[in-house]
Amino acid sequence: MLEIDNLVAGYGGVPVLRDVNAKIAAGEIVGLLGANNAGKTTLINALSGMVKPISGRILFLGEDISKLTPQARVELGIVQVPEGRLVFPEMSIRENLLLGGINAHARKHRPQQMEKVIGLFPRLGERLTQSAGSLSGGEQQMLAIGRGLMAEAKLLMLDEPSLGLSPLFVQYIFEIIDRLHADGLTILLVEQNLNLTLRHARRCYVLERGQVAVEGDADTVKNDPRTRSAYLGL
Amino acid sequence: MREEFYKTLSSPIWWGALVIAAIMPFVLSSYYVHILTLALVYVALASSWNIVGGMAGQISLAHSLFIGIGSMFSAALLLKLGINMWLGLVISAVISGILGAVIAWIDFRFQLGHLSFVLITLAFAEMGSIVVEGWDFLGGASGLLLPKDTGNFLAFQFGGGHGAFWMMLGLAAICVLVNVAILNSPLGYYLRTIRDNEKAAQAIGVNILRYKITAMVISAMLASVVGTAYVRYLTFADPYLLISPVITIEIVLFATVGGLGRAYGPALGALLLVPLGEILRGKLGSTLPGLHYFIYGIVVISVILVTPRGLLPLFERLWARWRGPAVASKP
Repeated sequence: MLEIDNLVAGYGGVPVLRDVNAKIAAGEIVGLLGANNAGKTTLINALSGMVKPISGRILFLGEDISKLTPQARVELGIVQVPEGRLVFPEMSIRENLLLGGINAHARKHRPQQMEKVIGLFPRLGERLTQSAGSLSGGEQQMLAIGRGLMAEAKLLMLDEPSLGLSPLFVQYIFEIIDRLHADGLTILLVEQNLNLTLRHARRCYVLERGQVAVEGDADTVKNDPRTRSAYLGL
Repeated sequence: MREEFYKTLSSPIWWGALVIAAIMPFVLSSYYVHILTLALVYVALASSWNIVGGMAGQISLAHSLFIGIGSMFSAALLLKLGINMWLGLVISAVISGILGAVIAWIDFRFQLGHLSFVLITLAFAEMGSIVVEGWDFLGGASGLLLPKDTGNFLAFQFGGGHGAFWMMLGLAAICVLVNVAILNSPLGYYLRTIRDNEKAAQAIGVNILRYKITAMVISAMLASVVGTAYVRYLTFADPYLLISPVITIEIVLFATVGGLGRAYGPALGALLLVPLGEILRGKLGSTLPGLHYFIYGIVVISVILVTPRGLLPLFERLWARWRGPAVASKP
């Protein structure tokens, strides 16, 4: 579904990612691991179009999307749930969710999609008119994921969904991720939490200083000594 | 989302308020009509600024430029080239819109942060005032004097006092209605997502460039039109008033005191502060020069300390508290 070809990207012409190659097949759940500053968020931002590539290609469903604007990529179904949740605090939960589905493609199915999201997160359904800023961190993460689903994502990219959540909420969010995967959604999971990610993702890439250090299925990555060293920065 | 707008259009309170405002010239002395006319100018200006500054959260200080184009340029077109002021109004509005689009594009292209945006727009405003003061076509530093207002509507004349008041009332009502319309349309929601978090707005697929430009163009064109109407009312096109960044600061102040990003907030701020400033000046200006500024400043500071989000949210809270028990006590 997604193919990253020799991608070089960064900020202000200074590359953060150097020659990254990766692939995500349809229906897969892929983990993207790495320590702080490894380039995980830069990669996810390059995929969603918020960071312009310096060279290399990104193919989505066989088409080169590396020159497309962020909104054009959302339209294609590449949807990011940004780190730190970033809900719109002064708007209600309903408004936040509706805004998730503003692209021309998703707009037509908003009522049905809304029902699905509420089915997935009944807690949100009970609080539709409440302002998003009044939600707890875990509930905001649910809302951010729900907003991403409203866009009719084909590839859902979750940036550190466990960040700052209580263990109970982390478990809940990952159960939801498993359910979405079981329903056939393709998921890219960006995480610092190594063990948690290895338990849920079938395949993983470990980034180290902007390059792929280790890749393979969860067990391979788990047992590769380079994974530990990439984390410890040795 | 749109129902809200039609509800406003068919609301008896809205039309009632307009009708009551419209008969004011028959009730009040010409001094107070003048103060109200000034207040309406600022209602219109603060409301047009609110689209960019309040809804999209982009504190633009470039609005003196648009007001300046609307006033100085349309006055120059009339006096130097004999171009009808109605046409001048349209030409100025188009130029202001284009300039607004350019500024919005620069903001997007170079991803200016909040502070850089404020400074860049201020630089544009300063450039505008330098150009006007140095260019004789636009009147230079001495300004331009428009022909006497004889009430010839086709020449953009409204017959002074009362006519100018009604014209400004209409213009202010339009600016506020545009605010209501935008806030209840998808555009309003997109602007609020940009204000709350640009990154999250991008993540849901909001076309940031398009909506920043749309907001800036609407805001700039409205400000320009108000500028043309204002200079007609003043008769004298004074560059130190109309294209000075100070006028933008006043607008920002009124909008902030009233309630940023709210449809009626800027209007409320201007309606309270302009008369307050004028009346204080009238009563105290001769006894102790400067005292009226002092009192005015204290009022503004207290409002911002008591209710940082503006007077409108404060009034709404008070209204809810007053209504609250009454509703609860119903059988």
